[in-house]
Amino acid sequence: MSRTAQAAPPRTVPDAPREIRRRTRRGLSDARYAALLAAPAAVVLLALVGWPLVKLAVNSLYTGSGLGDGRRFAGLDNYLTALTDAGIRAAAGRTLAYTVIVVTAELVLGLAVALLFHRLGPRSRILQTIFLYPLMIAPVVAGLLWRFLMIDNVGIVNELLTRVGVLDSPGDVSWLSDPDLVLFSVALPDVWLTTSFMTLVLYAGLQAIPPDLYEAARLDGARGLRMLVSVTLPLLRPVIAVALIIRGVDAARAFDVILIQTDGGPQSASETLSLTIYKTMVSYNDPGTAAATSTLFMIVMMLVAMVGVLTIWRPGRES
Amino acid sequence: MTHARLARLRTGLLWAVAVAVVAVYAFPFVYLVLTSFKPATDAVAVPPTVLPQRFSLDNYLTALNRPGVTASFVNSVSTAVIATVLSMALAIPAAWGITRYRSRAGRVLMAGSLLVRMAPAVAIGIPLVTILGALGLTDTPTGLALAQTTVALPLSIWLLASFFEGVPREIEEAALVDGCGRFTALLRVILPVVSGGVAVTAIFAFLASWNEFLFALLLTSVRAQTTPIAIANFQSQFGLDWGPMTALATLYSVPAVVLTLLLQRRIVAGLSLGAVKG
Repeated sequence: MSRTAQAAPPRTVPDAPREIRRRTRRGLSDARYAALLAAPAAVVLLALVGWPLVKLAVNSLYTGSGLGDGRRFAGLDNYLTALTDAGIRAAAGRTLAYTVIVVTAELVLGLAVALLFHRLGPRSRILQTIFLYPLMIAPVVAGLLWRFLMIDNVGIVNELLTRVGVLDSPGDVSWLSDPDLVLFSVALPDVWLTTSFMTLVLYAGLQAIPPDLYEAARLDGARGLRMLVSVTLPLLRPVIAVALIIRGVDAARAFDVILIQTDGGPQSASETLSLTIYKTMVSYNDPGTAAATSTLFMIVMMLVAMVGVLTIWRPGRES
Repeated sequence: MTHARLARLRTGLLWAVAVAVVAVYAFPFVYLVLTSFKPATDAVAVPPTVLPQRFSLDNYLTALNRPGVTASFVNSVSTAVIATVLSMALAIPAAWGITRYRSRAGRVLMAGSLLVRMAPAVAIGIPLVTILGALGLTDTPTGLALAQTTVALPLSIWLLASFFEGVPREIEEAALVDGCGRFTALLRVILPVVSGGVAVTAIFAFLASWNEFLFALLLTSVRAQTTPIAIANFQSQFGLDWGPMTALATLYSVPAVVLTLLLQRRIVAGLSLGAVKG
């Protein structure tokens, strides 16, 4: 950037097309011009997101497969099904549990590592780079990789645990086929992939805290944990809130990581809502219920995110 | 003296902890790469070994010779390129309009992009199957790229807006005084100033498409299948053939890892700007 930055500042652009010059002189107001700049993106988003969502809402009011055979208006029946179906309710519960597991693990780990890097200063840059790379890896690859690490008998995780004496034999823990354990196991790749993101964001937040605030707190006798709880964490609050909202929303939508590891099994023990909706649509060919469930899912997500933004983040209050 | 030594000891300890944490964190991927270079049978040896006993490219040859695998790479590249170009072409003017003019429409678009991010991909993906089908774009890289634009475009708008924030107004004003049109000023004067940010944004848009799975699963079947789907299909079609699977997973991660290393500092800047300011 430095090279281009030096070259770029004010210089004449000799042959600006005459046509554009004329239009500017005629004077498109700033607001009109800004709207014109944003219009194509807005139109594309409306077409590719708004329209599908309208279609989704319409589909949620019909039963029968989408191909016209027996498709009929059903009012709110699908919503009733979505709200009362035991499988869908269980999936909603698991989605919440999965989100809490992922986000808690990431926040604790991410904060610990961010504090460590912050303490070590800029010399830890190489370590930071290595810590960053999982962020770029495809979730499907990460899911597959962790499945490979966690295979009962030949997986390296159980082998290492056996060698250090935690397990008696590598076959003792079945990470991905034990229904009580599987929700935690499938969360591992997600935690591995995105703790980097948490660390990165929290590290940037830590860098932004003015050092004299620490100095003042130190003069007041704050040390270690006390410093963390009464100075650092309150100051990081908006940053933590943003990170939690972004990651919470993503974790709740988790699909590929779980699909590739367990396909929701065993006995649906790791089936979160995105998988349930996908299966309702593709395997059970029930687009009405799938549409109603997704509509409810989306409404809940937006409400939670909005409440999150308004209560924890409190935009505008800081600045 | 003792105080200084204690402080040094503590710093040393912290470094040791940091190195250990990073080593544990890096291990899964290193193990994946190492396994991919083992002879096919050693990938699932009992007990597993970390280092290859013998270096071999068998897994790579097997993986690349499977039907559809090389074609899936071509599809992944073309889909990601289309999605990136489209997202950038739309996001650059939009983000500039939003940051430079601070209009109400701009704020609505920013909030809208954020809301799009909250929507579960299944909710958008399922209706998109019929919509793209009606447009004749089923199972084509263009159709898939359009779907992935719903992820890449909002991301690009937010990232670019945070980079444009840092551009001093005087730069545009000087260009306008020199007789440049507003749009020309954006293209020829503003963009070069934030070229680093534009590059980072383009990389994120590219990777958003490159790593995307759900839309690819819903919207492609044979012709436009991307590599993540090919990787996922490996297990059902050929049983759990771990060796070639690790090779394919490694190959597919190369662009992501290389791009990260090349632009590491800017990516850090971009991500933290986007998140902290956002």
